[in-house]
Amino acid sequence: MKLPLKWLKEYVDYNVTNDEFVEKLMWRGFEMGSVDPELPGVEGVVVGKVLEIEKHQNSDHLNITKTDIGTEVLTIVTGAQNVHAGDYVPVAVVGAKLNGVEMKPVNMRGVDSYGMLCSGEELGLTEADYPGSSVHGILILREPHPLGQPIAEAVGLNDVVFDIELTPNRPDCASVIGMCREAAAALGQTFKEPEIKAVAGEGNEADYASVTVENTELCPRYTARVVTDIKIEPSPAWMQKKLRAVGLRPINNIVDITNYVMVEYGHPMHAFDLACVKDGHIIVRNARENEIVTTLDDKERAVDPEMLLIADPEKGVGIAGVMGGLNSEITENTKAVLFEAAVFKASNIRRTARTLRHTTDAAARFIKGVEAVNAKLALDRAIELVEELGAGKVIGKTIDVCAADLNERVVDIDTAHVNKLLALDLTPAEMRDMLATIGISSVACEDRLTVTVPHFRTDIESGIEADWDIAEEIARIYGYYNIKPTLMVGDTFRGGLAPEFRFEDLVKDTMACQGAYEMYNYNFTGPKALADLGIKEGDTLNQAVRILNPFGEDQSLMRTTLYMGMLDSAARNLNRKTGQYRFFEVGNVHFDNNDTLPEEQKKLGVVFFGDNEDFFTLKGSLEQLFNACSITGVSYRVCERSYFQPGRAATLVAADGTELGEIGQLHPDCAKAWSIDSRVYMAELSMNRMLALSGGTKKFSPLPKYPVVARDLAVVVDERRENADLVGIILNAPVPAGVIIGDVTLFDTYAGTGIAPGKKSLAYTFTLRAEDHTLTEEEIRTAFDAVISALAENDAPIRA
Amino acid sequence: MSAIDSLNAIREDALNELAKRSTLDELEQLRASLLGKSGSLTAILRTMGKMAPEERAAVGAEANRVKQALEAAIAERREVLKQAEMQARFDAERIDVTAPGTDKLPTGRIHPMTQTYREIRDALVGMGFQIYGGPEIELDDNNFTLLNLPKDHPARDMQDTFYINENVVLRTHTSPCEIRALKNIKPPFRLIMPGRVFRVDEVDASHSPVFMQIEGFIVDKGLTLGDLKGTLDTFIHAVFGEDVKTRLRPSYFPFTEPSAEMDMSCTICGGKGCRVCKGTGWIEILGCGVTNPHELENCGFDPKEWTALAFGIGVDRVASLKHAISDIRLEYENDARFLKQF
Repeated sequence: MKLPLKWLKEYVDYNVTNDEFVEKLMWRGFEMGSVDPELPGVEGVVVGKVLEIEKHQNSDHLNITKTDIGTEVLTIVTGAQNVHAGDYVPVAVVGAKLNGVEMKPVNMRGVDSYGMLCSGEELGLTEADYPGSSVHGILILREPHPLGQPIAEAVGLNDVVFDIELTPNRPDCASVIGMCREAAAALGQTFKEPEIKAVAGEGNEADYASVTVENTELCPRYTARVVTDIKIEPSPAWMQKKLRAVGLRPINNIVDITNYVMVEYGHPMHAFDLACVKDGHIIVRNARENEIVTTLDDKERAVDPEMLLIADPEKGVGIAGVMGGLNSEITENTKAVLFEAAVFKASNIRRTARTLRHTTDAAARFIKGVEAVNAKLALDRAIELVEELGAGKVIGKTIDVCAADLNERVVDIDTAHVNKLLALDLTPAEMRDMLATIGISSVACEDRLTVTVPHFRTDIESGIEADWDIAEEIARIYGYYNIKPTLMVGDTFRGGLAPEFRFEDLVKDTMACQGAYEMYNYNFTGPKALADLGIKEGDTLNQAVRILNPFGEDQSLMRTTLYMGMLDSAARNLNRKTGQYRFFEVGNVHFDNNDTLPEEQKKLGVVFFGDNEDFFTLKGSLEQLFNACSITGVSYRVCERSYFQPGRAATLVAADGTELGEIGQLHPDCAKAWSIDSRVYMAELSMNRMLALSGGTKKFSPLPKYPVVARDLAVVVDERRENADLVGIILNAPVPAGVIIGDVTLFDTYAGTGIAPGKKSLAYTFTLRAEDHTLTEEEIRTAFDAVISALAENDAPIRA
Repeated sequence: MSAIDSLNAIREDALNELAKRSTLDELEQLRASLLGKSGSLTAILRTMGKMAPEERAAVGAEANRVKQALEAAIAERREVLKQAEMQARFDAERIDVTAPGTDKLPTGRIHPMTQTYREIRDALVGMGFQIYGGPEIELDDNNFTLLNLPKDHPARDMQDTFYINENVVLRTHTSPCEIRALKNIKPPFRLIMPGRVFRVDEVDASHSPVFMQIEGFIVDKGLTLGDLKGTLDTFIHAVFGEDVKTRLRPSYFPFTEPSAEMDMSCTICGGKGCRVCKGTGWIEILGCGVTNPHELENCGFDPKEWTALAFGIGVDRVASLKHAISDIRLEYENDARFLKQF
């Protein structure tokens, strides 16, 4: 919302600095976007006086001037031919900026020029801003000014324009009148609300126009007035200046009036050339099938039956609330006009604007919400301006087709409740007086306030919410800064983390202890990434949730695995040679399971890559993680996945037989798809499964009291024989009662010279001990022999 | 020479000799030559058996004195030499303490967003809040309608939404967790509800379509706007330190009434005004308010009996402010050179 300070001053005594005003508005809930100069894009341009001017010796068209800017006399070369000694002109000195371009000294055919004399156009000025601005050549100021005076001051455009950010609950403030009402209250001043003079028209409006509203739900009020004997001409300079200050382009008196009123009263208006409306009969109706309307911007727009049209008996003359039709546009030949100020249903206009992919200032206002009383005010104001500008002859009375309830709403407020919400102790009378400052009148009695909701406060509800709405107004006026911070009283609460959240901390911290960096990847993925992972139709990972309005195909799905994001990040780190090769992420994946809401699963993803990593470094990290989480008995079973290299992938199976996750080396084809040269190892585990398996309270087991003996052995087995198999055999060997075998660890794998082809040698170390005594030599030997025979019986003879 | 004279001579010689011994080994040799089995003092003591009783007493007494004197002198000298030897070792083993550390085990990193989330969470948990959650893909009802944002509400445009279908959305905020809490937990309660949220925002330095929020939600009887202000003040100071200033100013959210935003004094410039705070000295840190009565009503609570307070914090934003991260995209690129700075 742009509010020029000059305009504000018409309605409010402005007795503060701009900074103070910004702060006072902030405390009322209005944030200042920016405070802009009235003449934008012009910095460091000052008034100068041309002392002498002579022809440039090396040029036909250049002149060299000596120009006095008060502090110094500058040599400036100009190409303009309308400058004479003694002229006062705008000078862009070295360092000045015009639309962001900085002035520098330039050499023009051998003469150094220290600045530029400016035309009106270069300063963004029009004839309405300052006479002579549109002249071809330099802008010659009409009277002497102090030398060095900023040009904005000299041409009287040195005002500021406040750009105020509005919250969606206050569409009434998207108008000069509404904003000034709030600004006055914020400044502790009285709002000088303008009165609109009613214009009694001549003749009978029915002789010129009539209005039929077929759909009063979508158009609760339609007001219109006829003006004839129109003289199309530019609007007066004061109006043009104000429109320009709020960023609107002046067009002609009639269009400018509608725009001016829209800015002033916040209500969009339209003017039809009455000669182009058949029989002067406006019909507000739904569009028909296959109907087309050509709008003011000369575009043919296909409208559908849910859209509301402004039509005459033969054709559409405008799309309601969005844009007028080209066929009834105001032109320089327009002789009679129908001014329209109507109310259209916000949701319908929103749909229309979206469907047509076209939004206008007017549509934006209808979408934010306009109200019926203001429609008539706006129309009356426009007619007042028609008279003031002498733009035409006002006919008859206002045509007003109204289905809207124009009665003021009255709400009953429980002041004790308001006080309770705000921790205040105000009397109903105090509240009444506070509300009066923002134009809300009310009657106070013992503990209630009967509030008459002004028509412009559509945000204040009549029902249950009224207390809260009024509480908010009271808080704004009282000042949030005056409300004392208190600490909550009442029951004490036991704060804390649910197990799920504590477990997530543990997992993340443990992974960081393994040297891994935590990643955050987006949840979006696409069909290409799924295909790159080799995921086929029917695969669970293909049951991705699809987004209706994604950024693009590549981000059209919710991820079903963390892999693609992790691979993107891995590739990025490899390309950038960051030197980090271990990463993990904890995040959600989603599966479309045909339920109302998709299935959400929280996963841990881990990715290791680079020359120093392999399957077993990653597996080792997971083992450490399980250790930290007190998860025991996880086994690894060879598995096949499209994205894992065959023979280098496993599912992790928990002691209870359920699947916990998977681990594997990235398939070379997938690595290629991500342009990764390095080998990549990935794992994905279910956070919920891990949480369910993680041991609860840890129980102490006594430390061994008697010494532990370590023994090594090596066996020769088939090259495909699994370590887990042999560990099981060793652990279950029939050793003498009381002897405990533990810590079975594979410490060497060998194949080659000395080992038969197709075989490998595995070397193990393990421990032997007893709970209640030191093992005798005899016991140790017997136990060791038992292990050896158990292995031998299972095709794992001791290596010779 | 009498035995007494010999003793004195031994002492004199020994004390002279003592000063010349510069290592512990040499000192030990000297001790042995005096007091050892075949030492000179020992030799004199051995002759005492042959002496007359009076002489023996006198020589014995003198011999003891000499022995003690020598032992004391040797002990003293030993101490000196020990210290000298230790000093020599220290000198020899002096290192350059400014040389780089070695054998560093690789350490991982917790993402700055997680770190920030934990700080915020821990501060609130210390104030009696518990954690509660909800799904990232939500019913439109929970995300909007029950929160007082029916379809066609103009404020729906404040949050551009990713849709799965007409009734299911990627949650645009963590507020739908409030509905889940109201439907599943018996008040009074104080909850924080963290998680990822989604908006149709093209990626740039300050926007991301995915970001992390923490929702705070308190339901009890007799809560006030003052309670909200006090709670947020306490928490902001816990996270950003006692020196930051806060201000609660009016704003608008459809879910709360009265609504407010909390600003804190700019952590970059200390409130003097800089690029980060756009010269205002203040930075918006969270949105909050007294929960709209419709929301409580929608979930079966009498809003005149129960009051709810709510606030929502953008974790990405707090992390950016705390660590002066200028580009939010870095938080989702996972470049190790970025991550290892935290």
